[in-house]
Amino acid sequence: MNERQIRNLFVLILLGQIILLSLQVPNPAKSGGLPENIGLAVLAPIARSVDSGAAGVVGLRDEFRKRAALVEENRRMVAESEHLRLELLRLQDVDDEARRLAAALDYERDRGATLRVADIVYVDYASWLRTLVVRASIGRTTVNQPVVSASGLIGRVIAVSGPYAKVQMITDRAASVGAMLERGRRQGIIRGDGQGGLVLDYVPLQAQVEVGDRVLSSGIDGVYPRGLPIGTVSRVEPGSGFLSIAVAPAVDFGLLDQAYLVDHVALPQNLKESPIAHP
Amino acid sequence: MRILRFFLGLGLALLTHFVGVRLVPQFPLATDLFLVVLVFQGLEGDALAGLLAGVLVGLVQDTLGGGIYGLYGVTDTIVGYATAKVAQRVVIQRPTGVMLAFTLASAAQQVLLALLALTVFPDPVLPQPAWALVRVGTTAFVGLAVWTGLGFWRSRYTSWRTNRTARVHFN
Repeated sequence: MNERQIRNLFVLILLGQIILLSLQVPNPAKSGGLPENIGLAVLAPIARSVDSGAAGVVGLRDEFRKRAALVEENRRMVAESEHLRLELLRLQDVDDEARRLAAALDYERDRGATLRVADIVYVDYASWLRTLVVRASIGRTTVNQPVVSASGLIGRVIAVSGPYAKVQMITDRAASVGAMLERGRRQGIIRGDGQGGLVLDYVPLQAQVEVGDRVLSSGIDGVYPRGLPIGTVSRVEPGSGFLSIAVAPAVDFGLLDQAYLVDHVALPQNLKESPIAHP
Repeated sequence: MRILRFFLGLGLALLTHFVGVRLVPQFPLATDLFLVVLVFQGLEGDALAGLLAGVLVGLVQDTLGGGIYGLYGVTDTIVGYATAKVAQRVVIQRPTGVMLAFTLASAAQQVLLALLALTVFPDPVLPQPAWALVRVGTTAFVGLAVWTGLGFWRSRYTSWRTNRTARVHFN
Protein backbone atom coordinates (compact mmCIF):
# COMPACT_ATOMS: atom_id res chain seq x y z
CA MET A 1 0.00 0.00 0.00
CA ASN A 2 1.27 3.47 -0.75
CA GLU A 3 1.26 6.34 1.74
CA ARG A 4 -1.93 7.85 0.36
CA GLN A 5 -3.86 4.59 0.65
CA ILE A 6 -2.62 4.14 4.21
CA ARG A 7 -3.73 7.69 5.07
CA ASN A 8 -7.18 6.97 3.61
CA LEU A 9 -7.38 3.74 5.59
CA PHE A 10 -6.41 5.65 8.75
CA VAL A 11 -9.23 8.15 8.18
CA LEU A 12 -11.67 5.33 7.41
CA ILE A 13 -10.81 3.34 10.56
CA LEU A 14 -10.95 6.47 12.69
CA LEU A 15 -14.36 7.37 11.28
CA GLY A 16 -15.60 3.82 11.95
CA GLN A 17 -14.43 3.99 15.55
CA ILE A 18 -15.99 7.41 16.07
CA ILE A 19 -19.30 6.10 14.69
CA LEU A 20 -19.07 3.11 17.09
CA LEU A 21 -18.45 5.57 19.92
CA SER A 22 -21.31 7.87 18.98
CA LEU A 23 -23.73 4.93 18.73
CA GLN A 24 -23.07 4.21 22.40
CA VAL A 25 -23.38 7.81 23.60
CA PRO A 26 -27.20 7.73 24.09
CA ASN A 27 -26.75 4.70 26.35
CA PRO A 28 -23.23 4.57 27.82
CA ALA A 29 -24.08 1.38 29.74
CA LYS A 30 -24.60 -0.53 26.47
CA SER A 31 -21.87 -2.98 25.50
CA GLY A 32 -19.56 -2.56 22.50
CA GLY A 33 -21.23 -5.45 20.67
CA LEU A 34 -19.32 -8.00 18.61
CA PRO A 35 -15.78 -6.51 18.97
CA GLU A 36 -16.16 -6.44 22.75
CA ASN A 37 -17.46 -10.03 22.85
CA ILE A 38 -14.55 -11.22 20.69
CA GLY A 39 -12.09 -9.34 22.89
CA LEU A 40 -13.67 -10.84 25.99
CA ALA A 41 -13.54 -14.37 24.52
CA VAL A 42 -9.80 -13.99 23.83
CA LEU A 43 -8.63 -12.07 26.89
CA ALA A 44 -10.76 -13.54 29.69
CA PRO A 45 -9.19 -17.07 29.51
CA ILE A 46 -5.71 -15.48 29.71
CA ALA A 47 -6.77 -13.44 32.73
CA ARG A 48 -8.20 -16.57 34.32
CA SER A 49 -4.98 -18.55 33.77
CA VAL A 50 -2.88 -15.77 35.28
CA ASP A 51 -5.32 -15.44 38.17
CA SER A 52 -5.23 -19.19 38.87
CA GLY A 53 -1.42 -19.22 38.72
CA ALA A 54 -1.11 -16.23 41.03
CA ALA A 55 -3.70 -17.71 43.41
CA GLY A 56 -1.69 -20.94 43.53
CA VAL A 57 1.51 -19.10 44.43
CA VAL A 58 -0.24 -16.93 47.01
CA GLY A 59 -2.03 -19.99 48.42
CA LEU A 60 1.25 -21.88 48.82
CA ARG A 61 2.83 -18.94 50.62
CA ASP A 62 -0.21 -18.46 52.83
CA GLU A 63 -0.30 -22.16 53.71
CA PHE A 64 2.83 -21.72 55.82
CA ARG A 65 1.54 -18.56 57.50
CA LYS A 66 -1.98 -19.62 58.24
CA ARG A 67 -1.68 -22.52 60.67
CA ALA A 68 -1.74 -20.38 63.82
CA ALA A 69 -4.43 -18.09 62.48
CA LEU A 70 -6.66 -21.05 61.58
CA VAL A 71 -7.24 -22.08 65.19
CA GLU A 72 -8.36 -18.56 66.10
CA GLU A 73 -10.49 -18.29 62.97
CA ASN A 74 -12.14 -21.64 63.69
CA ARG A 75 -13.08 -20.50 67.21
CA ARG A 76 -14.52 -17.27 65.86
CA MET A 77 -16.46 -19.07 63.13
CA VAL A 78 -18.00 -21.57 65.58
CA ALA A 79 -19.30 -18.63 67.63
CA GLU A 80 -20.54 -16.88 64.48
CA SER A 81 -22.22 -20.06 63.26
CA GLU A 82 -24.07 -20.37 66.58
CA HIS A 83 -25.22 -16.76 66.30
CA LEU A 84 -26.34 -17.25 62.69
CA ARG A 85 -28.23 -20.42 63.57
CA LEU A 86 -30.24 -18.48 66.14
CA GLU A 87 -30.80 -15.68 63.61
CA LEU A 88 -31.99 -18.25 61.04
CA LEU A 89 -34.51 -19.64 63.50
CA ARG A 90 -35.82 -16.13 64.15
CA LEU A 91 -36.04 -15.36 60.41
CA GLN A 92 -37.79 -18.67 59.70
CA ASP A 93 -40.37 -17.67 62.25
CA VAL A 94 -40.78 -14.25 60.56
CA ASP A 95 -40.99 -15.94 57.15
CA ASP A 96 -43.68 -18.34 58.37
CA GLU A 97 -45.65 -15.44 59.73
CA ALA A 98 -45.33 -13.51 56.45
CA ARG A 99 -46.39 -16.61 54.53
CA ARG A 100 -49.48 -17.03 56.70
CA LEU A 101 -50.39 -13.34 56.29
CA ALA A 102 -49.85 -13.51 52.51
CA ALA A 103 -52.05 -16.60 52.31
CA ALA A 104 -54.75 -14.84 54.32
CA LEU A 105 -54.66 -11.90 51.87
CA ASP A 106 -54.49 -14.21 48.84
CA TYR A 107 -51.21 -12.47 47.81
CA GLU A 108 -48.56 -14.36 45.83
CA ARG A 109 -45.15 -13.53 47.29
CA ASP A 110 -41.98 -13.12 45.30
CA ARG A 111 -40.31 -16.54 45.39
CA GLY A 112 -36.91 -14.93 45.71
CA ALA A 113 -33.78 -15.25 43.63
CA THR A 114 -31.27 -18.07 43.41
CA LEU A 115 -27.53 -17.48 43.39
CA ARG A 116 -24.90 -18.98 41.14
CA VAL A 117 -21.26 -18.79 42.08
CA ALA A 118 -18.81 -17.16 39.65
CA ASP A 119 -15.04 -16.79 39.85
CA ILE A 120 -13.66 -13.31 39.38
CA VAL A 121 -10.89 -13.51 36.81
CA TYR A 122 -10.11 -9.82 36.30
CA VAL A 123 -10.76 -6.68 38.32
CA ASP A 124 -9.77 -3.22 37.23
CA TYR A 125 -11.49 -1.21 39.94
CA ALA A 126 -8.63 1.23 40.37
CA SER A 127 -8.47 2.54 36.83
CA TRP A 128 -10.37 5.41 35.34
CA LEU A 129 -13.08 3.13 33.96
CA ARG A 130 -14.13 0.35 36.33
CA THR A 131 -14.70 -3.19 35.15
CA LEU A 132 -14.80 -6.81 36.26
CA VAL A 133 -14.75 -10.11 34.37
CA VAL A 134 -16.31 -13.21 35.95
CA ARG A 135 -16.51 -16.84 34.91
CA ALA A 136 -19.56 -18.95 35.70
CA SER A 137 -19.00 -22.59 34.79
CA ILE A 138 -22.63 -23.64 35.26
CA GLY A 139 -25.87 -22.14 34.03
CA ARG A 140 -26.56 -19.50 31.43
CA THR A 141 -25.48 -15.94 32.07
CA THR A 142 -27.50 -13.15 30.49
CA VAL A 143 -27.02 -9.44 29.96
CA ASN A 144 -28.43 -7.30 32.81
CA GLN A 145 -28.12 -10.14 35.31
CA PRO A 146 -27.30 -8.73 38.77
CA VAL A 147 -23.98 -9.68 40.38
CA VAL A 148 -23.55 -9.67 44.15
CA SER A 149 -20.99 -10.64 46.77
CA ALA A 150 -21.54 -11.75 50.35
CA SER A 151 -21.33 -8.07 51.39
CA GLY A 152 -23.69 -6.58 48.84
CA LEU A 153 -24.36 -5.49 45.30
CA ILE A 154 -21.45 -5.45 42.81
CA GLY A 155 -23.16 -4.55 39.52
CA ARG A 156 -24.75 -6.10 36.46
CA VAL A 157 -23.62 -8.10 33.45
CA ILE A 158 -23.14 -5.98 30.32
CA ALA A 159 -21.50 -8.46 27.94
CA VAL A 160 -21.37 -12.25 27.77
CA SER A 161 -18.98 -14.46 25.86
CA GLY A 162 -19.26 -18.20 26.60
CA PRO A 163 -18.73 -18.77 30.32
CA TYR A 164 -17.23 -15.27 30.73
CA ALA A 165 -19.20 -12.15 31.52
CA LYS A 166 -18.17 -8.52 31.78
CA VAL A 167 -19.69 -6.74 34.75
CA GLN A 168 -20.38 -3.04 35.07
CA MET A 169 -19.76 -2.15 38.71
CA ILE A 170 -22.19 0.12 40.52
CA THR A 171 -19.27 2.52 41.08
CA ASP A 172 -19.01 3.06 37.30
CA ARG A 173 -20.11 6.58 36.42
CA ALA A 174 -22.56 5.27 33.82
CA ALA A 175 -24.25 2.87 36.27
CA SER A 176 -27.49 3.64 38.09
CA VAL A 177 -29.51 1.55 40.55
CA GLY A 178 -32.95 2.11 42.03
CA ALA A 179 -32.27 2.40 45.76
CA MET A 180 -33.95 3.08 49.07
CA LEU A 181 -32.88 4.00 52.56
CA GLU A 182 -33.52 1.13 54.94
CA ARG A 183 -34.67 3.56 57.62
CA GLY A 184 -37.69 5.43 56.31
CA ARG A 185 -37.86 3.51 52.96
CA ARG A 186 -37.16 6.79 51.09
CA GLN A 187 -36.31 6.01 47.44
CA GLY A 188 -33.70 7.49 45.12
CA ILE A 189 -31.21 6.59 42.42
CA ILE A 190 -27.69 5.37 43.20
CA ARG A 191 -24.98 6.44 40.77
CA GLY A 192 -21.25 5.80 40.66
CA ASP A 193 -19.18 8.95 41.25
CA GLY A 194 -16.38 7.64 39.06
CA GLN A 195 -13.93 7.80 42.00
CA GLY A 196 -14.87 4.50 43.65
CA GLY A 197 -17.76 5.94 45.68
CA LEU A 198 -21.51 6.28 45.18
CA VAL A 199 -24.05 9.10 45.32
CA LEU A 200 -27.75 8.81 46.13
CA ASP A 201 -29.77 11.23 43.99
CA TYR A 202 -33.34 12.51 44.10
CA VAL A 203 -33.89 12.34 47.84
CA PRO A 204 -35.91 15.45 48.79
CA LEU A 205 -34.53 18.00 51.25
CA GLN A 206 -37.17 17.24 53.90
CA ALA A 207 -36.17 13.54 54.12
CA GLN A 208 -34.55 12.43 57.38
CA VAL A 209 -31.20 10.98 56.34
CA GLU A 210 -28.28 10.43 58.68
CA VAL A 211 -24.70 9.29 58.27
CA GLY A 212 -24.59 5.52 58.78
CA ASP A 213 -28.04 4.84 57.28
CA ARG A 214 -28.06 1.68 55.17
CA VAL A 215 -28.95 1.88 51.48
CA LEU A 216 -30.61 -1.10 49.77
CA SER A 217 -31.76 -1.80 46.22
CA SER A 218 -35.42 -0.85 45.83
CA GLY A 219 -36.23 -3.21 42.96
CA ILE A 220 -37.91 -0.46 40.94
CA ASP A 221 -35.38 -0.39 38.10
CA GLY A 222 -36.44 -3.74 36.65
CA VAL A 223 -32.86 -5.07 36.87
CA TYR A 224 -31.96 -5.59 40.53
CA PRO A 225 -34.16 -7.45 43.01
CA ARG A 226 -35.26 -5.57 46.12
CA GLY A 227 -33.30 -5.57 49.37
CA LEU A 228 -29.71 -6.06 48.22
CA PRO A 229 -27.26 -4.06 50.40
CA ILE A 230 -25.61 -1.26 48.39
CA GLY A 231 -23.79 0.74 51.04
CA THR A 232 -24.04 3.17 53.95
CA VAL A 233 -24.51 6.92 53.92
CA SER A 234 -21.17 8.61 54.54
CA ARG A 235 -22.10 12.29 54.02
CA VAL A 236 -25.34 14.27 53.79
CA GLU A 237 -25.54 17.89 52.65
CA PRO A 238 -28.41 20.01 51.36
CA GLY A 239 -28.16 20.46 47.59
CA SER A 240 -30.25 22.31 45.04
CA GLY A 241 -33.73 20.81 45.33
CA PHE A 242 -32.50 17.49 46.70
CA LEU A 243 -30.11 16.25 49.34
CA SER A 244 -26.55 15.58 48.25
CA ILE A 245 -25.83 12.14 49.72
CA ALA A 246 -22.52 10.30 49.43
CA VAL A 247 -22.66 6.54 49.97
CA ALA A 248 -19.75 4.23 50.82
CA PRO A 249 -20.16 0.92 48.92
CA ALA A 250 -20.96 -2.14 51.03
CA VAL A 251 -18.54 -4.19 48.93
CA ASP A 252 -14.79 -3.77 49.28
CA PHE A 253 -13.89 -4.17 45.62
CA GLY A 254 -10.23 -4.68 46.50
CA LEU A 255 -10.99 -7.93 48.33
CA LEU A 256 -13.24 -9.60 45.77
CA ASP A 257 -12.38 -13.11 44.67
CA GLN A 258 -15.81 -14.63 44.18
CA ALA A 259 -19.14 -13.26 43.10
CA TYR A 260 -22.67 -14.58 42.72
CA LEU A 261 -24.89 -14.21 39.69
CA VAL A 262 -28.48 -13.61 40.73
CA ASP A 263 -30.96 -15.69 38.75
CA HIS A 264 -34.24 -13.88 39.06
CA VAL A 265 -37.01 -12.87 36.73
CA ALA A 266 -36.22 -9.31 35.66
CA LEU A 267 -38.74 -6.95 34.14
CA PRO A 268 -38.95 -7.75 30.40
CA GLN A 269 -37.26 -5.14 28.20
CA ASN A 270 -40.39 -4.60 26.07
CA LEU A 271 -42.34 -3.52 29.16
CA LYS A 272 -39.63 -1.00 30.03
CA GLU A 273 -39.53 0.50 26.56
CA SER A 274 -43.21 0.30 25.50
CA PRO A 275 -44.74 3.74 24.95
CA ILE A 276 -47.65 4.82 27.14
CA ALA A 277 -50.88 4.46 25.22
CA HIS A 278 -52.77 7.73 25.20
CA PRO A 279 -56.51 7.64 24.67
CA MET B 1 9.03 -11.60 11.95
CA ARG B 2 7.95 -8.08 12.87
CA ILE B 3 4.34 -9.25 13.35
CA LEU B 4 5.53 -12.11 15.52
CA ARG B 5 7.58 -9.68 17.60
CA PHE B 6 4.55 -7.41 18.02
CA PHE B 7 2.26 -10.24 19.15
CA LEU B 8 4.94 -11.56 21.48
CA GLY B 9 5.25 -8.07 22.99
CA LEU B 10 1.48 -7.74 23.30
CA GLY B 11 1.24 -11.16 24.95
CA LEU B 12 3.97 -10.27 27.44
CA ALA B 13 2.29 -6.93 28.15
CA LEU B 14 -1.01 -8.72 28.80
CA LEU B 15 0.57 -11.24 31.16
CA THR B 16 2.47 -8.54 33.05
CA HIS B 17 -0.68 -6.41 33.20
CA PHE B 18 -2.77 -9.23 34.68
CA VAL B 19 -0.07 -10.16 37.20
CA GLY B 20 0.40 -6.46 38.06
CA VAL B 21 -3.33 -5.93 38.63
CA ARG B 22 -3.45 -9.03 40.81
CA LEU B 23 -0.51 -7.87 42.96
CA VAL B 24 -1.04 -4.10 43.01
CA PRO B 25 -4.58 -2.83 42.34
CA GLN B 26 -3.27 0.61 41.28
CA PHE B 27 -1.08 -0.97 38.58
CA PRO B 28 -3.22 0.12 35.58
CA LEU B 29 -3.29 3.67 36.93
CA ALA B 30 0.48 3.81 37.26
CA THR B 31 1.65 2.44 33.93
CA ASP B 32 0.50 1.47 30.45
CA LEU B 33 2.42 -1.49 29.08
CA PHE B 34 0.20 -1.72 26.00
CA LEU B 35 1.28 1.74 24.97
CA VAL B 36 4.91 0.66 25.28
CA VAL B 37 4.26 -2.15 22.79
CA LEU B 38 2.39 0.23 20.50
CA VAL B 39 5.15 2.85 20.50
CA PHE B 40 7.76 0.16 19.83
CA GLN B 41 5.75 -0.88 16.78
CA GLY B 42 5.33 2.74 15.71
CA LEU B 43 9.06 3.45 16.02
CA GLU B 44 9.67 0.89 13.26
CA GLY B 45 8.41 3.61 10.91
CA ASP B 46 5.79 1.51 9.10
CA ALA B 47 2.60 3.61 9.06
CA LEU B 48 0.29 0.70 8.16
CA ALA B 49 1.73 -1.51 10.92
CA GLY B 50 1.49 1.38 13.40
CA LEU B 51 -2.12 1.99 12.42
CA LEU B 52 -3.18 -1.66 12.70
CA ALA B 53 -1.24 -2.09 15.94
CA GLY B 54 -3.10 0.95 17.31
CA VAL B 55 -6.46 -0.59 16.42
CA LEU B 56 -5.57 -3.91 18.04
CA VAL B 57 -4.03 -2.43 21.19
CA GLY B 58 -7.06 -0.12 21.49
CA LEU B 59 -9.39 -3.12 21.21
CA VAL B 60 -7.48 -4.87 24.00
CA GLN B 61 -7.56 -1.81 26.27
CA ASP B 62 -11.25 -1.18 25.59
CA THR B 63 -12.07 -4.80 26.42
CA LEU B 64 -10.19 -4.58 29.70
CA GLY B 65 -11.72 -1.22 30.56
CA GLY B 66 -15.36 -0.38 31.24
CA GLY B 67 -17.54 2.48 30.08
CA ILE B 68 -17.92 3.41 26.44
CA TYR B 69 -16.27 0.97 24.06
CA GLY B 70 -13.86 2.62 21.61
CA LEU B 71 -12.25 5.41 23.66
CA TYR B 72 -8.88 3.67 23.67
CA GLY B 73 -9.50 2.44 20.12
CA VAL B 74 -9.55 5.97 18.76
CA THR B 75 -6.66 7.27 20.87
CA ASP B 76 -4.37 4.29 20.27
CA THR B 77 -5.05 4.34 16.53
CA ILE B 78 -4.00 7.99 16.39
CA VAL B 79 -0.96 7.43 18.63
CA GLY B 80 0.21 4.35 16.66
CA TYR B 81 -0.15 6.05 13.28
CA ALA B 82 1.36 9.35 14.46
CA THR B 83 4.37 7.60 16.05
CA ALA B 84 5.08 5.74 12.81
CA LYS B 85 4.79 8.93 10.75
CA VAL B 86 7.18 10.76 13.08
CA ALA B 87 9.61 7.81 13.01
CA GLN B 88 9.66 8.02 9.18
CA ARG B 89 11.01 11.55 9.38
CA VAL B 90 13.14 11.51 12.54
CA VAL B 91 15.86 9.02 13.39
CA ILE B 92 15.35 8.05 17.03
CA GLN B 93 18.25 6.05 18.43
CA ARG B 94 19.66 7.88 21.44
CA PRO B 95 18.16 7.06 24.86
CA THR B 96 16.98 10.66 25.33
CA GLY B 97 15.14 10.53 22.00
CA VAL B 98 13.55 7.20 22.88
CA MET B 99 12.51 8.51 26.31
CA LEU B 100 11.05 11.61 24.66
CA ALA B 101 9.12 9.50 22.14
CA PHE B 102 7.52 7.38 24.90
CA THR B 103 6.80 10.44 27.04
CA LEU B 104 5.14 12.31 24.17
CA ALA B 105 3.12 9.27 23.07
CA SER B 106 1.88 8.62 26.61
CA ALA B 107 1.06 12.30 27.20
CA ALA B 108 -0.72 12.49 23.84
CA GLN B 109 -2.77 9.42 24.75
CA GLN B 110 -3.84 10.96 28.08
CA VAL B 111 -4.76 14.28 26.45
CA LEU B 112 -6.71 12.56 23.65
CA LEU B 113 -8.56 10.38 26.17
CA ALA B 114 -9.49 13.45 28.21
CA LEU B 115 -10.63 15.35 25.09
CA LEU B 116 -12.74 12.41 23.92
CA ALA B 117 -14.27 11.99 27.37
CA LEU B 118 -15.10 15.71 27.43
CA THR B 119 -16.81 15.32 24.06
CA VAL B 120 -18.66 12.10 24.82
CA PHE B 121 -19.75 12.43 28.47
CA PRO B 122 -21.95 15.29 29.68
CA ASP B 123 -20.05 15.47 33.00
CA PRO B 124 -16.83 13.51 32.51
CA VAL B 125 -14.65 12.24 35.32
CA LEU B 126 -11.14 12.86 34.10
CA PRO B 127 -8.05 11.01 35.32
CA GLN B 128 -6.38 12.70 38.27
CA PRO B 129 -3.47 14.87 37.05
CA ALA B 130 -1.05 13.32 39.56
CA TRP B 131 -1.83 9.79 38.36
CA ALA B 132 -1.66 10.91 34.73
CA LEU B 133 1.84 12.32 35.35
CA VAL B 134 2.92 9.13 37.12
CA ARG B 135 1.55 7.08 34.23
CA VAL B 136 3.39 9.16 31.62
CA GLY B 137 6.63 8.97 33.63
CA THR B 138 6.54 5.24 34.34
CA THR B 139 5.45 4.36 30.81
CA ALA B 140 8.39 6.34 29.42
CA PHE B 141 10.75 4.74 31.92
CA VAL B 142 9.52 1.21 31.15
CA GLY B 143 9.79 1.96 27.42
CA LEU B 144 13.37 3.15 27.79
CA ALA B 145 14.28 0.18 30.00
CA VAL B 146 12.88 -2.30 27.47
CA TRP B 147 14.57 -0.45 24.60
CA THR B 148 17.95 -0.54 26.40
CA GLY B 149 17.52 -4.20 27.38
CA LEU B 150 16.61 -5.23 23.85
CA GLY B 151 19.54 -3.24 22.44
CA PHE B 152 21.89 -5.02 24.83
CA TRP B 153 20.61 -8.48 23.89
CA ARG B 154 20.63 -7.62 20.18
CA SER B 155 24.30 -6.60 20.32
CA ARG B 156 25.18 -9.75 22.27
CA TYR B 157 23.30 -11.89 19.75
CA THR B 158 25.06 -10.19 16.83
CA SER B 159 28.42 -10.68 18.47
CA TRP B 160 27.63 -14.38 19.15
CA ARG B 161 26.62 -14.90 15.51
CA THR B 162 29.78 -13.22 14.26
CA ASN B 163 31.97 -15.38 16.50
CA ARG B 164 30.13 -18.53 15.50
CA THR B 165 30.51 -17.74 11.80
CA ALA B 166 34.20 -17.07 12.31
CA ARG B 167 34.67 -20.48 13.91
CA VAL B 168 32.87 -22.35 11.14
CA HIS B 169 35.14 -21.02 8.38
CA PHE B 170 38.49 -22.40 9.74
CA ASN B 171 40.51 -19.67 8.05
